Amino acid sequence: MDLEITREHLMLQDSARDFIKKEHSFDRLRELKKEPPLKYSRKVWKKMAKLDWLGLIYPEEYNGAQMDLSYAMALLEEFGRGMLPEPWISTVLLGGNLILSGGSKEQKKNFLPKIASGKLLMTLAYLEDGGRYDPNFCAAGAKKSGENFSISGKKIFVLDGSGADKIVVSARTSGAVDDREGITLFIIDKNADGLKIRPVKTMDGRNAASIDLNEVMVSEGDIIGEVDHGYNLMCDVIDQATAGLCAEMIGGMKATLNLTVRHLSDRIQFGKHLGSFQALQHKSADMLINQELAISAVYYAMASMVEKSDERVSAVSIAKAKCSHAYIENTKIAIQLFGAFGFTNEADIGFFFKRAKVAEILFGDCDYHYDRYLTLNRPLS
Amino acid sequence: MQISYSKNEEKFRDKVRLWLKENVSDEIKDQTLGGSSLDTELMVKWHKKLYQKGWVAPEIDKKWGGSGFSQTENFIFGYEYARSGAPRLKTKLIAIGMLTPLLLQFGTKEQQERFIPDMISGEIQWAQGYSEPDAGSDLANLSTEAVLDGDDFIVNGQKIWTSMADYAHWMFMLVRTDTSGKKQQGISFLLVDLKSPGITIRPTEALTDHEPFCEVFFDNVRVPKENLVGKINEGWNIAKVLLEHERLNAFPVGEVIAALEIVVKNAEKINFRGKPLLEDPVFRRKLAVLDVDCKAFLYTFFRILSKLQSGSAPGPETSFLKAYGAELYQRVMDLSIEVMGPYGQSWYNLKEYGNPVHQATMGWVNARSLTIWGGASEIQRTIIATQVLKLPRK
Ligand SMILES: Cc1cc2nc3c(=O)[nH]c(=O)nc-3n(C[C@H](O)[C@H](O)[C@H](O)COP(=O)(O)OP(=O)(O)OC[C@H]3O[C@@H](n4cnc5c(N)ncnc54)[C@H](O)[C@@H]3O)c2cc1C
Repeated sequence: MDLEITREHLMLQDSARDFIKKEHSFDRLRELKKEPPLKYSRKVWKKMAKLDWLGLIYPEEYNGAQMDLSYAMALLEEFGRGMLPEPWISTVLLGGNLILSGGSKEQKKNFLPKIASGKLLMTLAYLEDGGRYDPNFCAAGAKKSGENFSISGKKIFVLDGSGADKIVVSARTSGAVDDREGITLFIIDKNADGLKIRPVKTMDGRNAASIDLNEVMVSEGDIIGEVDHGYNLMCDVIDQATAGLCAEMIGGMKATLNLTVRHLSDRIQFGKHLGSFQALQHKSADMLINQELAISAVYYAMASMVEKSDERVSAVSIAKAKCSHAYIENTKIAIQLFGAFGFTNEADIGFFFKRAKVAEILFGDCDYHYDRYLTLNRPLS
Repeated sequence: MQISYSKNEEKFRDKVRLWLKENVSDEIKDQTLGGSSLDTELMVKWHKKLYQKGWVAPEIDKKWGGSGFSQTENFIFGYEYARSGAPRLKTKLIAIGMLTPLLLQFGTKEQQERFIPDMISGEIQWAQGYSEPDAGSDLANLSTEAVLDGDDFIVNGQKIWTSMADYAHWMFMLVRTDTSGKKQQGISFLLVDLKSPGITIRPTEALTDHEPFCEVFFDNVRVPKENLVGKINEGWNIAKVLLEHERLNAFPVGEVIAALEIVVKNAEKINFRGKPLLEDPVFRRKLAVLDVDCKAFLYTFFRILSKLQSGSAPGPETSFLKAYGAELYQRVMDLSIEVMGPYGQSWYNLKEYGNPVHQATMGWVNARSLTIWGGASEIQRTIIATQVLKLPRK
């Protein structure tokens, strides 16, 4: 049993911190917010490619750095701490990862080096109206027509969807609307005929998209894995992305607590530092407790992912449930302790508060993961 | 003890309900339900309409343009008003809820006649200038100074977080007129025309991406002596009375209940695993908790109302109405955004996703401010502990 990260992880985190200090700031976020619809920069993205971060978890033969998921999580913790908005989770952990885990040699050769070099942005579109967070809920249909498939339907809240070059779309090739069997994964180009990408803004100042598919034609070569059997592959990749997001969330929690402690140590009311009031000391202590429990759950999930243990699905749900609760709770407390200043866009703390809400929802909120956990661990007979 | 309204009170309630039903347009409801404010033009129109009906200031005497309702009628009116989807007037909390009763208690006859009718008609909007950068919770630490010079005070300093200062015509403010004794003893209460030379107003962007409040800077601003309310250096007592009015008025229980009803309506329309979310047992359990808490909150208002009817003044008990009401409202907004599922991460996609999503997300963010203004929750709890429970301060 070893739930600590290694020196190599820490070194990667150090270089991420240096990078973020040099390339990024909260004022950059304030500027990016005004630029619709992309809320990140391709220039910074290219620099991240130079550091081998975009191919971090891909094999060397595809120009990757061939590291395991724990390194992705170490990196994401720093992105969360510094609020780096670049679309790393959607491109590297969702889109590219689907190809890495289930794609053909040909697809890997085609896509992974391009992702690693920063030329290609990808994402996954799987959520639909009426399905809440369930990846098996899939009404979008793919009909066979000759050698090709024709896809029609609608997907919502596609992560970083308005900047992606390729979107992997889940579509039903057989079965009922919420069957696990019968889902197939298709790679669709952003310029495909019949595809309409509508950018939507998210609370954290980033972007997502609603996409409408109207008889979009896709060839068999653009299917990832097997027809009808995309569900398990998709879920496994979503779980890896969820674990990555959790790592980002603990980075955000750490930054939140740091900012709060600093504020409590600086601001004076009633002739004393705010931090000397016991009511506020107890609140900040609660923040630490929330945070540490979440970190433990995330490290456990990370280890079980890396080991590919049978527990991993359940461990991811434990981690996400803890993080979904702790991050938003801690940022709410932080805003409260900052007073009116915390309620402004001039204070950095607000970025964490809004990111926490989006992160809480991404890949399923607390209730979704409680439910998933129970179904796995205490199934009804 | 009795839980039902009298025949007359029932009649009154039906009259109010009917009028609101006929007069709160769908256009208004579309914007208000969920807790956000109305756009200015509609608001001005609505204020006029309500003013003509005589219902802008329910608790204020008819002679000033108020409705002269009894305490119970006032409560019934407020409850029905909030539930109808009628907008909270811009003047409601600051001008009518706080300044009017205060002028009636401490102002001169001239001040009352000059300011109250225009406040109620909506002609003159007011802002509240209490907080300063170094005087938030520690309000008595304020340092914006006013020095008497002939017939004027000369004001220098800065206010912060002043709601609506960029929209209001006048501001009531606390100023320091003496620094020699205890902090609380050298404070005075002034009425200031915001168009006076030397005033600079700078809006501040909030988490909602709106600019609900401002910084207000005073550079040798002359304020006529007759705009002093009460005696010089005795403003602290006035300020405290005003805060109690603020707390009592801060959380009309009807608004909290109306917000919960909207959650229920949305949950009826949103499908989850083939059924409306409203039928999901996990959701129902959460709804039940909030429903019960709202009811207990309502009954608490009934109890306080009974006390007011028998002639007692609102006291430090208003602190728990403010603290609990704000936190209850936050919990309702938590559920309201949770109901939306993935749409809860949306931000300003009004055209794309329509009003319910927009209201839930904006309302949810906005709700965080409720436990900060009007005395933060921690401060309310300290008041309860020291003034109600009389726990030792040291
Ligand atoms: C939306 C909004 C509108 C506002 N409108 C107005 C307005 O119109 N006019 C106006 O004058 N002001 C207005 N305010 C300001 C409001 O009155 C102050 O925010 C409030 O008094 C708290 O002060 P602060 O923000 O400086 O926080 P601080 O006083 O710095 O408090 C920060 C945190 O520390 C806690 N704290 C402070 N002292 C103690 C203690 N002794 N023990 C335990 N905890 C403590 C507080 O509870 C809070 O959680 C508004 C604020 C907001 C958010």
